[in-house]
This record gives sequence, structure tokens and C-alpha cells, in this order.
Amino acid sequence: MGLAARHLEANGIPTVIMGCAKDIVEHCGVPRFVWSDFPLGNSAGRPFDVASQTQTLDLALRLLEAAPAARTTVASPLRWAPDAAWKHRYLDVGKLSPEEIAERRKEFDVVKAVAKAKREGA
Amino acid sequence: MSVGSPGSKVAFAPDDDVAIQYMQRTRDYYQALGFAPYRWAHFTDAPFTPLAMPLARARVALITTAAPFQPEAGDQGPRAPYNASAKFYQVYSAPVDSKPDLRISHVGYDRANTVPEDLDAYFPLCRLQEAVAAGRIGGLTPRFHGAPTNRSHRVTVETDAPELLRRCREDGADAAVLVPT
Repeated sequence: MGLAARHLEANGIPTVIMGCAKDIVEHCGVPRFVWSDFPLGNSAGRPFDVASQTQTLDLALRLLEAAPAARTTVASPLRWAPDAAWKHRYLDVGKLSPEEIAERRKEFDVVKAVAKAKREGA
Repeated sequence: MSVGSPGSKVAFAPDDDVAIQYMQRTRDYYQALGFAPYRWAHFTDAPFTPLAMPLARARVALITTAAPFQPEAGDQGPRAPYNASAKFYQVYSAPVDSKPDLRISHVGYDRANTVPEDLDAYFPLCRLQEAVAAGRIGGLTPRFHGAPTNRSHRVTVETDAPELLRRCREDGADAAVLVPT
């Protein structure tokens, strides 16, 4: 998505990205970015919380209007949970047993084969 | 819990309450599974085009990485495991006045912490329509666009990004809101 935003922007269309993966988006380097410190999959606000979604979109619109320069990130003030416990649950490889790792590896190989077949058929 | 230095009245947030380092976690994960490291796109600068008009007159395009529901492509429900069959490999577009059924089972969202049962949390079309109704933005382009989550940077740069630009121009977009899932 970062690459697409860069391409649009370089060709005269101002862009703003709404996302959760702060490091990945900033590593790419994008014109404007609203970062929600939420689990991946909630780039536009909290599920079933219209006020949260409206607030998140408003930050994006205000960035479009007022970002002073490229690579402007605004951090949404919204919190997913009172503490950071959820942040330790995402893809924590240290908590996996060797058997679980072997199982994930097998699943991943299947997923890659499926994606390859689909891509080549597309 | 807030903590501060001993004897200090200043209470800081816990040190682990920071942005998740997704790249490092993914690197560690790939390494544990025995896969080659992935290289994320990286630039030290970025292009910049100021908005040329008041937002209240601008036509805004919405771009998503969510995928249209495909009945033949297996479980795409909110609790579906990662489903590569539901991926798509070409830019797609659909009218903004339709009620799109878009899913994210084809991407690696945070399955440990969230259940994507609310489209509005990853595809802000309803909120954008409300912003139009409120006069906050001039309008939406007639179509929204879907961007493939392709792991090939070459395909993204050479094929998908130019196609998105072509469609945005065709629709007269003055600005774009991009929402990865």
C-alpha cells in the first residue's frame, strides 16, 4: 500500500494511509499516515464503534488538508485496551514449541502453494 | 500500570507499551520456520503533493487491500484461518454506491487479538459517505479500488500502482485514502 501511495502522490494525487503497522509503513516512507495502535485489521477504527471510526477518518482528512511535508505521521489517541498485554500475543515465535513450529511450517508451505497456483491461474 | 524512576513522582507508561515491531517479529518468525528473510519496501524520502483545493470541494478515492467475497474460495469468515485461495492478483474496482462484501481472510491480520466482523473497521466507505453528506469532503469517486497484496514489489511497482493511478485519474480523483488490512 505504501508503494501505491507513493506512486499516486508522485503523479499529482495527494494520499493518506490509515494503518496499524507503524514500522512497516514508516519504513516504506509515505506522504501521510494515520497510525492506530490497534491489532492489524482495524486500520479504520474500532469494530462496531462508529465514533472511533469517525475520529480516525477525521484525522486522515485533516492530514490531507494540513500535513506540512511528506512522511507526516499522526498517532491516533485511541487505545485498544487499558494495557499492552495484547501486543505480546501477536506472532510470538518464542512461545511456540518445536512441534508447533514444524506444524506452522507445513501449513505455510500449503498456503504458499495455493497462492502460487492462484497467482499463475490469474 | 504506570511506573516511574524510584523516588520520582513522575509516572511513565510501561516500557513495553509501544508500537509492535512487526518487521522484527516477522523476521524472527520466518527464521524459526526456516524461510528466507522478507525484505520490506524502504525509502528514506517520500513524494509530496499538497491538496490543490479545499477538501470540501475535493473528490476522494478509497483504496483497499480487502478482497471481494468469492463463494468458491473456501472459508473467508471472520474466524477463517489464513486463506490464500481468497487472494486476488489484479486491481479491481466496484461502485461506491453498492454494498460491497469485502473480507480479509487472505491477509495476515492479527488473528490473536481481533475478529474482523465489522467491515467499517477496515473499509471506511460508510464513514466517508457520512463525511460527504456532512459537506466535509466534496464527494467520492464513483468507484473504490482494490489493491492486490502481492509479495512481489516488482509487480506492485510496475503493474498494480500504475493501474491504480490510471483508474483514479479516470475517476477524477483529487485525493486518495488508502487503507491496508
